[in-house]
Amino acid sequence: MMKYIVVGLIVFIVYVSFAGSTSPYTLATATIISVILSALTAKYLVVNERKLMEPWRLLILIYYFFKYMTIIEFKAHMDVVKRTFTMEIKPGIVKVPVNAKSRYARSLIMGSITNTPGTVVVDEKDDYFYVNWIYVSSPDPLEAKKAISEEFENFAIKIFD
Amino acid sequence: MIESILFWLGSALFIVGGVFDLIGAIGMVRFPNFYVRLHAATIGGIYGAVLPLMGISLMALGIPELPGRFAIAGASFVTAIVLLVVAPVGSHILAYAAHKSKSVEWSPVVDKLLEDEEK
Repeated sequence: MMKYIVVGLIVFIVYVSFAGSTSPYTLATATIISVILSALTAKYLVVNERKLMEPWRLLILIYYFFKYMTIIEFKAHMDVVKRTFTMEIKPGIVKVPVNAKSRYARSLIMGSITNTPGTVVVDEKDDYFYVNWIYVSSPDPLEAKKAISEEFENFAIKIFD
Repeated sequence: MIESILFWLGSALFIVGGVFDLIGAIGMVRFPNFYVRLHAATIGGIYGAVLPLMGISLMALGIPELPGRFAIAGASFVTAIVLLVVAPVGSHILAYAAHKSKSVEWSPVVDKLLEDEEK
C-alpha cells in the first residue's frame, strides 16, 4: 500500500510544480492523474517497500544532489575545460568494478559517471563498467575506480541498497 | 530583498551556463575524435543546460510582477531535473553504438572493452 501512496505523491508534486498553480482545477487533475499513474506503475517501480519507510535515504539523496551539482561537477568541468585549451588528452576505455546490487543504485552510479565531463560509461558486463576516460591515469581497475566512481558508489549504496 | 537576491543569483547561474556552453562548443571543434567530443558535449549538457534552467527558475521567482512566474519556475526546475536524469542515457547510448559498430577511428591508450570482446 505504501508504494502506491509514495509514487502517487511524487507524481502529484511533479504535476503541481510543473503547472505552477494551486487552483482547484489543477489540484483535481493532479489527483486524478497521480491515482491512475500510481495504480498502473507502482508495482513495477518499487521492488522493496521496506526502503520507502526509511526517510534518511531521501535526506542523503538531497545532500548528494547538492554536493554533486556544486563540488563534484565543478571539479570535473574545470578539468575538461582546462583540457579543451591545453589539448592534453590520453583517451581510453578502462574497467571499473561495481559492488552495488540494486538496479536503481547502478543507474545512479552510471548516470553520475556519465554526467561528469571526462567519463562516459560505454558498457556493463559481469559487475564491471567499461568507462571511456579522457585522461587515463591508470589502467588498473581498482585505481581507476578510486579516481572515477568510488564516491558515487558510496552514496548510491547508502541511498538505494 | 529576497526577490532581488533570487534574481541576481539566477542571472549569475544563467551567465555561467552561457560561458560553459561556449567552452563546450570550442571543445567540440578542437577535440580530435567522437569519443573525446562526447566529453565536450557533456559540458554543454550539464553546466550548459541544467544550470541555466535552474537559473531561469530562480530569476522567475525573483520577478513578482511577472505573470505566471510560478509556472515558469516550476516547469524550468522540473525540466532541469528530468534532463539530469535522461542526459546520461543519451551519451551512453551514443558511446555504446559507436563502440559496437567500430565506426570511430581513434588511438586509445588502453581499450579493455575491445580486449574482453576479443577474448
